[in-house]
Amino acid sequence: MMSSKAHSSNNIANARRTVQQLRIEASIERIKVSKACADLMSYCSEHARSDPLLMGIPASDNPFKDKKPCTIL
Amino acid sequence: MFYLDFLIVILCFKPFRCRSLPAQRKYMRSPLIPEMATQEVQLNETLAHLKTESETLKSKLEEERAKLHDVELHQVAEKVEGLGQFVMKTRRTLKGHGNKVLCMDWCKDKRRIVSSSQDGKVIVWDAFTTNKEHAVTMPCTWVMACAYAPSGCAVACGGLDNKCSVYPLSLDKNENLAAKKKSVAMHTNYLSACSFTNSDMQILTSSGDGTCALWDVESGQLLQSFHGHAADVLCLDLAPSETGNTFVSGGCDKKANVWDMRSGQCIQSFETHESDINSVRYYPSGDAFASGSDDATCRLYDLRADREVAIYSKESIIFGVSSVDFSLSGRLLFGGYNDYTINVWDVLKGTRVSILFGHENRVSTLRVSPDGTAFSTGSWDHTLRVCDDCYFFIGIKYNQNLCTFNFTPCAPDKPPLSLTATHLPKYSNLKKHIYRST
Repeated sequence: MMSSKAHSSNNIANARRTVQQLRIEASIERIKVSKACADLMSYCSEHARSDPLLMGIPASDNPFKDKKPCTIL
Repeated sequence: MFYLDFLIVILCFKPFRCRSLPAQRKYMRSPLIPEMATQEVQLNETLAHLKTESETLKSKLEEERAKLHDVELHQVAEKVEGLGQFVMKTRRTLKGHGNKVLCMDWCKDKRRIVSSSQDGKVIVWDAFTTNKEHAVTMPCTWVMACAYAPSGCAVACGGLDNKCSVYPLSLDKNENLAAKKKSVAMHTNYLSACSFTNSDMQILTSSGDGTCALWDVESGQLLQSFHGHAADVLCLDLAPSETGNTFVSGGCDKKANVWDMRSGQCIQSFETHESDINSVRYYPSGDAFASGSDDATCRLYDLRADREVAIYSKESIIFGVSSVDFSLSGRLLFGGYNDYTINVWDVLKGTRVSILFGHENRVSTLRVSPDGTAFSTGSWDHTLRVCDDCYFFIGIKYNQNLCTFNFTPCAPDKPPLSLTATHLPKYSNLKKHIYRST
């Protein structure tokens, strides 16, 4: 059984933590979305050639692919 | 009038996850005694003051984020070449679990997979041959989390037992793995996810108790705990090692939090999903992460812009996403859905490039292999599948010197193919046909 005073100070402790957390989050340095997106795009294009699921790799290099590499449609 | 409120833990699964109420306790209240009244008023004033400051900070945060929101990702990506249609194909089906597959992870050797199931079993597979190499029976059902150690010599798992245990893998197939089991993590509710850090020595866990924690494997000691989620934490992912000591977690409070592993501090928080976040995964550069949620969307959050930069959704997709992962370059985002499908998204343009059918129940877990050649999915249909893409060619000409047939890919971004006659079906005029790589 807790007194209403302790109840309130619990709430205060929680509120203080929230304020503290928000202060930290509000103070971080941010960059523009356009710059962030440009960086994401350049990472993609730099690594595209070596992304097997994107580019495909010859059957001989992929251990999961069957030995017979083609079927007719 | 006295009343007692109890903290109720509701054991109705999501359907497969425990859900505890947000940790708000109501205490027995006594009627106000006159001399306490002034103190109560003072405390209430401080509380009101803090709440106002909290609201002010939240608005400021939104303002700051909005100032830098000068463009959408798909707009910037308009100049990027589009991807052709992808056709994904199942290469291996791993059968052996007796119930829903809940989690899986790849070994760094790109060939072994560990998976865990509702029936309490944890199995290590050779995905090339589909052979089961090890099997462990856990003392609990609903093993919701499993992970492979970076060395490949151990696996970690846990679930309804509220623990994370590490099993060293023995080369001796006859040895009882359970004998060498090491209990590492202890939570006060179910274990939802676990991951080794970049060594076998530390494990990061997330739990239905609303916390994440970092543990030393050898001693079982708690090294750091992470508090901040207001409800069950369902998933986590460690930042790629080059980008430093952070990880991201997602929870039933609809929030994705980024944490500093050393200090235990939450450094960024994102709350744009409309329902539980079931899966989070870092973009390969470490500058962003994707999330998948019960609100049927996947979203991309950029850490340096500190905001959501893309949503991957379609009106026709109404079932929740259980798991997400990127291809090696980050261009493709794979999502496993509760409607039994896998949707593949163009991360930059925001469009869907492929949909894969095959599982006969929800897809519960999905991971791209370490070398990016394939991805594996686990499902409530008791199986795991290993898939990759196949693509289309038109046969063009015969190279007499090399005795090869040269094929041109139908999609411009795919490599050409050159095959000898022994690898081809027997057809009289190759030029007329369209081929699909198998």
